[in-house]
Amino acid sequence: MSIYKTAVNKPISTLMVFVGLIVMGLYSIRSIPIDLYPEIEPPFLSVMTAYPGANAYEIETNITRLLEDQLNTVENLKEISSITTDNLSLIFMEFEWDINLDVASNEIRDVLERILDFLPEDANRPTLFRFNTSMMPILFYAVTAEESYMGLNKTLDDILINPLNRVSGIGSVGMIGAPTRVVYVELDPRRVEAHNLTLEQVANVISAENFNLPSGNIKMGSLDYPVRIQGEFEESYEIENLVVGNFQGRPVYLRDIGKVEDRQRDISQDERIAGGQGLRMFVQKQTGANTIQIARDVKAMMEELLPQLPPDVEVKEILDTSDFILSSINNLSRTLLFALFFVMLVVLVFLGKWRATFIVVLTIPISLIVAFIYLFISGNTINIISLSSLAIAIGMVVDDAIVVLENISRHVERGSNPREAAIYATNEVWLSVIITTLVVVAVFFPLTLVGGLTGVMFNQLGWIVTITVITSTIAAITLTPMLSSKLFTLKKKVERRRPMSWENTFGELFKKLDNFYESTLRFALRHKRLVAFSALGIFIGTLMLMRFIGTDFMPQADESSINGNVELQTGIRVEETVRVAKKIEELIVTHVPENEIYFTSSGADDEGGFFSLFNQGGSNTISFGVRLVPPGERQRSTFEIAEDLRMRLAEFPEIVNYSVGFGGGGFGDNDVKVEIFGYDFNTTTELAHTIRDRIEAIPGAREVAISRQEEKPEIMIKLDKEKMALHGLNSFQVSNSVRNRIAGLRASIFREQGEEYDIIVRYSEEYRNTLNDIGQISVMSQTGNRVKLKEIASIEEYWSPPNIERKGRERVVSVSAIPHDISLGELAGEIRTAIADVEVPSDIMINIGGAYEDQVSAFMDLALLMLLSLILVFLVMASQFESFRTPFVIMFSIPFSFSGVILALFITGTTLSVIAALGAVLLIGIVVKNGIVLVDFINLMRDRGLALNEAITVAGKNRLRPVLMTAMTTILGMLPLAVMAGEGSEIWRPMGIAVIGGLVFSTMVTLVLIPVMYGFIAKSGQRNKKEKLRKKMQFLIENNGTH
Amino acid sequence: MITFNQAHTEKVEYMLDFLNIRGYTLWEDVKGRGSQKGNPHIGTHTWPEMNSAIMTIIENDKVDALLNKIKKIDVINEEVGIRAFVWNVENAY
Repeated sequence: MSIYKTAVNKPISTLMVFVGLIVMGLYSIRSIPIDLYPEIEPPFLSVMTAYPGANAYEIETNITRLLEDQLNTVENLKEISSITTDNLSLIFMEFEWDINLDVASNEIRDVLERILDFLPEDANRPTLFRFNTSMMPILFYAVTAEESYMGLNKTLDDILINPLNRVSGIGSVGMIGAPTRVVYVELDPRRVEAHNLTLEQVANVISAENFNLPSGNIKMGSLDYPVRIQGEFEESYEIENLVVGNFQGRPVYLRDIGKVEDRQRDISQDERIAGGQGLRMFVQKQTGANTIQIARDVKAMMEELLPQLPPDVEVKEILDTSDFILSSINNLSRTLLFALFFVMLVVLVFLGKWRATFIVVLTIPISLIVAFIYLFISGNTINIISLSSLAIAIGMVVDDAIVVLENISRHVERGSNPREAAIYATNEVWLSVIITTLVVVAVFFPLTLVGGLTGVMFNQLGWIVTITVITSTIAAITLTPMLSSKLFTLKKKVERRRPMSWENTFGELFKKLDNFYESTLRFALRHKRLVAFSALGIFIGTLMLMRFIGTDFMPQADESSINGNVELQTGIRVEETVRVAKKIEELIVTHVPENEIYFTSSGADDEGGFFSLFNQGGSNTISFGVRLVPPGERQRSTFEIAEDLRMRLAEFPEIVNYSVGFGGGGFGDNDVKVEIFGYDFNTTTELAHTIRDRIEAIPGAREVAISRQEEKPEIMIKLDKEKMALHGLNSFQVSNSVRNRIAGLRASIFREQGEEYDIIVRYSEEYRNTLNDIGQISVMSQTGNRVKLKEIASIEEYWSPPNIERKGRERVVSVSAIPHDISLGELAGEIRTAIADVEVPSDIMINIGGAYEDQVSAFMDLALLMLLSLILVFLVMASQFESFRTPFVIMFSIPFSFSGVILALFITGTTLSVIAALGAVLLIGIVVKNGIVLVDFINLMRDRGLALNEAITVAGKNRLRPVLMTAMTTILGMLPLAVMAGEGSEIWRPMGIAVIGGLVFSTMVTLVLIPVMYGFIAKSGQRNKKEKLRKKMQFLIENNGTH
Repeated sequence: MITFNQAHTEKVEYMLDFLNIRGYTLWEDVKGRGSQKGNPHIGTHTWPEMNSAIMTIIENDKVDALLNKIKKIDVINEEVGIRAFVWNVENAY
């Protein structure tokens, strides 16, 4: 018993199966998390090693190179690169996609374990970092305060952060730029020496005085008393009254030789929010948690918590990634609804029957819901990729149901009972329905095999379309016949037509269209050559247009946020930087009225931590961010505003380098990088400058920047080993002493209300800010003599590079540029020509990379994919038609779909991004499907004995409506994708444009060119089976003749 | 012997019941084509339709009624196709 017969005979079971699916689907939808993109675990691992106090050079030689050499042996490693700055070595390792990062991490840990003994002793243990897109903060808050600014750190911790951490799904809540409290003990070196003390002694006293000690128990009477010595400072001023030594029989108090300051840490980073003092607070989610849900929970919690804050503390949201996600998803859901509506409209117009339309359109929700079940089972999220995949599928899933339904209604019109018609009509078409589905699957399934970053997007698209299309086919051969058998009624022959009925309006229109097409087809068949040549002409013509279409990696989305980095003269003090930051704030206030909130952050937090991985900078850097009002409420796009800001930043004389970017969680940068490999700093830097000048001359290049920072001034103390030896000193003692006096020595910890604050002993600032002061630093020798630093060392000022970048274990410096008003591909091309004649020394290598590199490899992937799809489609068709030639006839429409894509991109001025190219690949399946419908019917007509041209015309006329209908459903299904504006729409718009353009064009071509090509090929003996048969059976005829 | 397009199956079965004809033998999915007109029903891609055939042994007086009903079924739509052929049963067990 066949599946459709069972379905028709057991309508209730069939219905139950589908209702079951829907219930499961609805349950899945409820529990699928919503996110912007599919969760990506980029195959990047990084190793961070801090070596406090060492400069970039030393770290490069002693740590970075050592680690790189060893880590290079890790399996599946694609590329190793590193940045070495003062104090820090950061090694980035990129692996092949689709590998198990756990294995790689373990292997790296083994390597680190092995190498530990060879690293410098003072270096910290290397730590392994693993990135995940879900580590990116989902919420950013700006917190401003006036009177309570000093204790803001603690206030927020108590009132906001601790309760927030209890929200389920939250990874962590952190603060950037929070003021931290430190107790500074600032000593006057002259007084210290005058009292015959050293800084270390003072620190020892503080540490010795500041402790509590349990000292046993005392039994008194029937009680047992624990004894505890309470020596800890209760207030920080107590430190001033400590006796730190004796001088000439009198106690020396700490207040005699210095002062105690209980205040916030010296600034190395300054956060300003909307022009006032403040800090930023961010929320990270746990992997796999639902961003939307967490954001909602956090906001609800914040509502409750905010009133508990002191009145002058203001908390404002800067970035809410869930906003963008939510509006993108809502936008896409609307797109889906529009698509559904359009498809329904098309079906209704073509079929003219409400019930038939209902049956056909019903396959849409069923197929889509099954896609949700897939998402649920595979642990995916509802994101813009999966939703746009659904939008793509929506126009395709009705096709099968239409074919089945059409045949059933034909049978019913001939007088069959609907139940029988449903069974036997389905029997007639079910095979060809499955084959057309196979063709679509042949195109989409390979998408699931793509690796790499593009694979992340394509895999989901591939699976979703494959699954929905297969589901729709199953529904078409079970549910559709079942419903038809129940809902169709035997029509009475004579029915009074109402003047506005379907037959009188659209029916007439279609008849006219049929006739027009018939005459066109007859004309084309008479002038085959003309048609063929003009088609060739059109094809070549559109190929010419290709030159005017730029190429891009990913379309840029307007995410309503701008962030920038500004670099000033290196070595500048943070106070100066803050001054410039204030100017930038003014700039934003006056020239970006679209801002919702803005912040600036000057300097860098030298304590390191999570954010220093993303932010490299020093006292001379400012990072700023502006949150804009939603796109609907402003005139200028984010890109225009960014460009405007760039122009204005360029006018600042203080600013050495700047960059302005947009958006947060997208698919990375959009830049071209010229990488210069070479060991010698001077030559490569010089070359980098030459190249930068050349690139700056290109009109479309923006933010041309050299990755290697300007050399910065450094004070170097060169110790004289011999002189040190005379005093019985060694480098370790001397350098420690210098460090303690300048950076400070952490003597102890001051505890107050459960919080701990560092007590740092150091020289007062006025005694350590000139070269001479530093020379005056005295070091206690073994013999108890004081030795001035200048006696045993020379103190010089010199220039050192603040960062050393390496890639593939070689030093590299890169010049990057981002395109403005031109495409990435064009920019890369122009850069290539611009630097072609730059003289490159023989030991230096130049390579063009960046996002452009990804783009090239993504396009290569797509080209391969296209080839694979073409082969698979050919295989399916050849086996269906049992012929090698027929598939070729059908595949003639493919080049024209590309013509259509090019034309559409050209007209709309869209660049050829990976997304648009993907649209072109998808077209193969959709276009071929139309061709199959047509050619199959021509074959049928010929087999039924019609003459060639007659068969073609009859078939064409007969199949015009189904072809137009399937094409229209797909086109209109995509239309909302192509035209709807809104947050995030930029990403998928190119695909909509590409598919619509390609499909419109190729449908027209299919309808005219394919019949003509069929005519060409059939003439040369395609369907001469009868003749062959006659020859084979010759003996029969001859026999007859003799009798 | 009645051969008919599968699409007529229900009507034929109902007709037999209506005429109180109990015994029959049914062959499903049989192929055939008409002598003068009509499309072949041979279950190929070109001609996808199929026939069924029923053999029923009935009294002579019922034959005319049966042929009459069959004609009624045929006029609903001649394209679908139903034919009946009558011959004598020589012997039976």
